[in-house]
Amino acid sequence: MSGSSGRTTVISRTVARIVVPIILVTAIALLFRGHNLPGGGFIGAVLAAAAFALVYVIFGLEFIQREILDIAPDGSERHQLVESYRWMASLGLALAVASSLAPLAFDMPFLTQGVLFVEGIPIYHELEVASAFAFDIGVFFAVVGGLLTIVAEVGNE
Amino acid sequence: MGLTTPKSALPTISPVQPTPEVVLAVVFLPFLAAAFTPAVYRLLGERTAYFAAAVALVTLGLVTDQYLAGADGTVAFEWIPSLGVSLAFHVDGLALLIAFLASGVGVLILTYSGGYMHGEPGQAKYYATLLAFMGSMLGVALAGDLIALFVFWELTSLSSFILIGHYTGEKASQYAARKSMLITVSGGLFMLVGFLLLVWASGQTTAIEGTTYSIQTLIAHADAIREVLSASGLLVPVLVLVGLGAATKSAQVPFHVWLPNAMEAPTPVSAFLHSATMVKAGVYLVGRFRPLFLPEDAAVLGEWTLIFAVLGLLTMTVAAMLAVSATDIKELLAYSTASHLGLIIAAFGFANSYGAEAGAFHILNHASFKAALFMVAGIIAHEAGTRKIDRLGGLRKHLPITAVIAVVASLSMAGFPPFNGFYSKELLFESTYYAAKHMGGIAWVFPVVAVFGSIFTFLYSIKFASLFFGDEPDGLGHVHRPPIAMLVPPAILGALVLAISAQPNLFIEGLVGEVYGSVVPGDAHSFSVHFPTELTPYVIMSIITIVVGAVSFPFYDTLHDGINAALRGPTRANWWYDNFVEGLTTTSVAVTPKVQTGLLRTYATWSLFGFVALALGGYAAAGLQIPAIDGLSVSIPIVLVLLVALVAAFAVDIAPSHVAGVLTLSIVGFMVAIFYILADAPDLALTQLVVETLVLVIFLLVLDRLPAFYGDAPDRTVSIRDGLLSLAVGTTVALTVLFSTDASPDPLLQRFFIERGGVPAEHPPFFADFGGGSNIVNVILVDFRGIDTMGEISVVVMASLAILTLVRMRGQGETQ
Amino acid sequence: MTQVFLAVVLGVLFTIGTYLVLRRDVVRVVWGISIISQSANVYLVTMGGFDGLAPILSGHGGGDVAATSDPIVQALVLTAIVIGFGTTALALVLTYRVYEEHGTIDMYELGGSR
Repeated sequence: MSGSSGRTTVISRTVARIVVPIILVTAIALLFRGHNLPGGGFIGAVLAAAAFALVYVIFGLEFIQREILDIAPDGSERHQLVESYRWMASLGLALAVASSLAPLAFDMPFLTQGVLFVEGIPIYHELEVASAFAFDIGVFFAVVGGLLTIVAEVGNE
Repeated sequence: MGLTTPKSALPTISPVQPTPEVVLAVVFLPFLAAAFTPAVYRLLGERTAYFAAAVALVTLGLVTDQYLAGADGTVAFEWIPSLGVSLAFHVDGLALLIAFLASGVGVLILTYSGGYMHGEPGQAKYYATLLAFMGSMLGVALAGDLIALFVFWELTSLSSFILIGHYTGEKASQYAARKSMLITVSGGLFMLVGFLLLVWASGQTTAIEGTTYSIQTLIAHADAIREVLSASGLLVPVLVLVGLGAATKSAQVPFHVWLPNAMEAPTPVSAFLHSATMVKAGVYLVGRFRPLFLPEDAAVLGEWTLIFAVLGLLTMTVAAMLAVSATDIKELLAYSTASHLGLIIAAFGFANSYGAEAGAFHILNHASFKAALFMVAGIIAHEAGTRKIDRLGGLRKHLPITAVIAVVASLSMAGFPPFNGFYSKELLFESTYYAAKHMGGIAWVFPVVAVFGSIFTFLYSIKFASLFFGDEPDGLGHVHRPPIAMLVPPAILGALVLAISAQPNLFIEGLVGEVYGSVVPGDAHSFSVHFPTELTPYVIMSIITIVVGAVSFPFYDTLHDGINAALRGPTRANWWYDNFVEGLTTTSVAVTPKVQTGLLRTYATWSLFGFVALALGGYAAAGLQIPAIDGLSVSIPIVLVLLVALVAAFAVDIAPSHVAGVLTLSIVGFMVAIFYILADAPDLALTQLVVETLVLVIFLLVLDRLPAFYGDAPDRTVSIRDGLLSLAVGTTVALTVLFSTDASPDPLLQRFFIERGGVPAEHPPFFADFGGGSNIVNVILVDFRGIDTMGEISVVVMASLAILTLVRMRGQGETQ
Repeated sequence: MTQVFLAVVLGVLFTIGTYLVLRRDVVRVVWGISIISQSANVYLVTMGGFDGLAPILSGHGGGDVAATSDPIVQALVLTAIVIGFGTTALALVLTYRVYEEHGTIDMYELGGSR
């Protein structure tokens, strides 16, 4: 389905233009609030991947390459997008590993997570900064990168 | 790591703790050198032999350092502290003797290899493995912990596998290597079971706190351990299990079959593995565990004696007869090795002190004369071009120095006075005599068998020496002179034989006495040997041996043919081994195509059938009752949602096209998502909804490229069979759900996570004790079970990489 | 609490899934695996019980164990869903590649016999 946008209707394209940013924002919101409310890295990641998948289905892969990432759509560059997804997945894994190794520097066991309570901040009064969030971001990028690699690679065919 | 105590000729009386660094270096230096050998080989080429010999020399120096310091004790390094397993090394007389043999003979063998291996293939591998083998053997000798002992034990099996199979291209080498591997490794596994039973016993007794893997702790509480084992009827099983380890390694009857085949290895390997080290590991094991199983006031014919004395004497006799039947000099030496190991094991088997003395002394004597003889055999094979006994003779003229060495070593092996082999054999006779005298009756078999076996030992020893005398056979071509590197090592060993023969008590005081101390329970007395001056019963036994041997030597060929004629079919242990292994192979060949049909449905059918049978069988065995049914116990919305899912799943099965099937499959997925909402699992519902969408997209993308549909239309019998199997699976699952939801276990884990997951009411500014988040599912994912999550995201990334590879690299690699 | 209804539903779902796995059309096999893994997830959640509230605490302090449904099974299933997607996608791509290589998605032809 790397085909042109000619096969989809105006309505679907218009809806997609509005819906995709909303989905992405929701995905990021789910990621951020995951520690205390429903959500988290996995959920945010699959939702973000779904947003991208929607763009594929409606506009095709070349659209993202040409219009958003400004990559020339000639044959040699065909896989550049997948390349960046793969990097994203590797980055996510690296971040997860790095954040779980970090406690070792403070003489705490591997994968120790903590919460820092910052008080006296305007509007929030008290802000909880969870170290687990760094790990969660790693999960997010690993899963987004992995899923998007799959979707793009299958769609590329 | 200088010496902490002043040097003295003899070990000091008060024990000194071994130096941890030195002991570590002794064991790991050879391994380290082995890792560097390939690089060294690139630099030095064939001179790598002398590099390896230098490493062995350093190791020998370190062992000597510990010996001179009078080290006796255990050094331990933490290994698996949570299981009580440590990397412990125990230094005492027995350990030092075996370490001396491994490193000392190692120096000579590696030097000898420099001449012998000239122009042979695979030398880097050869020296690396030989060094690794030496390290493993030193590890076995010094191990103070059961697990460490087992690991080094199996490492010797592994490295000897590589060494025996050195000529990888040759069928005989492959057969020999596989055989030794199968026998020794499986024996080691039996031994491991025996070890674990010992550890279990250590946990049962109150004398030891907790359980222990330490050999010395076990020996220190030997009485308590034996009591536990006897009370639970496990004493004999443990003895048999540990004995199997020793018997397979030391090539005792009927496991002796691997040793003659192992002669396929290059001769230096045979000399090293089968005179001084590998096979000595089994003997070492018996000696090491002797004080554990043999109480000070042991019965003359206790379990220990019954097992090991009988095993040893049997091996000694049978292997000696087999040696007489041998046609090849290395084969003769191999059987002779098994025979002498039998002698040592039998000696250790007797409960009297003479037995321990004989075993301890013979370890040293056997290593000295047997390593020399193997190297002599190597010289003969190398320089005369044949190893066939009937094609050799009169070598004295061509190999004068070798002839002297061979005669000295052979006479020692024969137990001829005044050579060192005579003294240790005399001690064995003494112990059999006293055992028989104390027991009377059937025990008189012991001395009779010992003399009978020794006669054959005498015969083949003289036969070996006679190769250097008499006339040259016609077929013998030109015999070369051996290079100096091949001549010096056996000469050193021959000199050692003479030295021990001349001053046996010096060696006993210096080393063998310590070994004796390691293998007897309680305090050891000192002992010495003397050349007999009066006619004791055991001197008469020696005289009978020599006289009968000398008288029957002219009939050697008749005996040789007679034994060979008797060895037909099932009387050969090899017949059993070959048929067993062959049988396994043919069975596998017959079974494999029946199981591996290449059809997914065959695999699925068998594994599902197995699942059903195991689960239902388990329920029936546990006597589970179908629980009482009290209403639906779920809310109406859940019922409705699941019913829709059921209908949709059924529709998938009868879908007329791929696309219709995928769409109905999605309905199942979305219904499951709603089910998650109703089951109060918001995170799951969100994920499931989105994933279901993505699955739909992927399905449609792929289906776009697949052929429309395959008319399934299987024949009726296949349908019915599949239906029945599916029904069985479904019923099993339904029963499982019933049984498992009927139980209400204590929600320990659940409580732990819910109570610790959130932020406590009172908390410091930085809180890192537990979770610290309100969404417990997420806290579990990123904190409590974070390492799981890490694995799972790796799986997702791996799946994507696999897909990438499948699609991207289709043009590469194998093609249809 | 004995879950009779869930037992029946899961039994039927597994029956259908197994029957699909035994078909000769590879796509149907993938469907079967998909249905079986969904049902396994449902089973896990069932083990956690339906009585409690969602495992989200309000405010600080420990939660009430009796009133909360089991968070462990939910954490298990959450990752299982995501991984299930990965494996389904892999199976589909494999199917596609098999078709490319062999020109068929018929198990019998692929197995080479019958």
